Amino acid sequence: MTTDLLEQFSAALTARTAAVRGAVAAIRLSETRHLTGTLWQPDVVVASEQSLPQRDEFELVLAGGAVVNAKLAGRDPGTNIAALRLERAVSFLEISPGEAQAGALALAFGADGAGGVSVRLGAVNRAGPEWTSSAGGRIDRNIVLDLRLARAEEGGPVLDAGGQRLGISTFGPRGKLLVIPSATVDRVLPELVREGRIARGWLGVALQPVAVPDALHEQAGQPSGVMVMSIVEGGPAAKAGLVAGDIVLTVDGTPTRSLRRVATQLASDGIGRKAALRVIRGGMVLSLEATIEARPAT
Amino acid sequence: MSEAVQPAAARRLRVSIRAEDPALAAELRAMIVAAGHDVVEAPEEADVVMTDAHAGTGGFAAMNETEFRALLTPREIEVLSAVAEGLTNKSIARRLDISLHTVKFHIESLFRKLGVRTRTEAVAKASERRLEI
Repeated sequence: MTTDLLEQFSAALTARTAAVRGAVAAIRLSETRHLTGTLWQPDVVVASEQSLPQRDEFELVLAGGAVVNAKLAGRDPGTNIAALRLERAVSFLEISPGEAQAGALALAFGADGAGGVSVRLGAVNRAGPEWTSSAGGRIDRNIVLDLRLARAEEGGPVLDAGGQRLGISTFGPRGKLLVIPSATVDRVLPELVREGRIARGWLGVALQPVAVPDALHEQAGQPSGVMVMSIVEGGPAAKAGLVAGDIVLTVDGTPTRSLRRVATQLASDGIGRKAALRVIRGGMVLSLEATIEARPAT
Repeated sequence: MSEAVQPAAARRLRVSIRAEDPALAAELRAMIVAAGHDVVEAPEEADVVMTDAHAGTGGFAAMNETEFRALLTPREIEVLSAVAEGLTNKSIARRLDISLHTVKFHIESLFRKLGVRTRTEAVAKASERRLEI
């Protein structure tokens, strides 16, 4: 046994990498391209939704090179999580979840496509609080890594120095590397696998933040709102009488000052609930009521 | 005197185009075909993926919030929708029944608020601020 610290550190990394092989799968996209998935259960692999092609069946390469077929079990653009169901349960490495801390070492693993793993070493650049994605999903922590990843490595497990799983890797804007926390995957996965998707509250509108015209400030009682840019025919908003061009001022009395808040108000637990909308149309303030429905499958 | 040696024929590449603007996509397609390469639909079948710089910021991102001073007015949004349809300033003036001067004024304001320099960028940037719910 060497006493050289650097050698010990290196040996620990190689040992860890070899062990993690059993949690990593390559998702074949073509002869030459693949994506990485993380084995979450003996028959469920989790991947980065944004990079997974719209397909129902996939071929996975597991540790050692065994090939297993898998079917798409569900995808949720909100949290950027996709789940694949393997045709048979396989032995896999179960990794306990860990909490990210800024400054901690992080290891991001990818599949090499031939049954082996690739690895990247970096630091947790940021471990911030919960955030809402542009697709309206709630992500439990804002974890940013200080390392670069190849396209094929996206979706693999990210571990801390103690070998606990922070989550799976995914690309943010401009190649920034984010982690979808284990807590988010654990929260979303049961419904995703059972229903194939995550039910979200839906009004059937596209909204854009807008300044309330000066002449209407007093009547509106607020300087900004959200304009209805388009409306889905037969959707909840259309049934409530909302039309394109309306400016929504409040939802249940809360000013629509931020899109994030609107998205949160209409989250999954709101399905079936009535939402009171205060709207400006043609210089008049109207009150409408819409019943939030579940977003239809696309 | 000998002829200059021709470079060996370039490899025929399969290129996948990822551009949100259909006009830009068509332009790129023509360029690629003219250069002797093939355009394929699925990025996983391609050797090269060509991504438009504005749509291509891509990646899983947080919901954008707009600062108050950058909020568009309802009129500016109307003008922008017409820009998105590819209308000229003259046609926009006619459609909205305003002067050409006013259209230009709105477009300048749009560019300033969105921090962009072209009409295509303006349309892309504004659509990033949209929430479909």
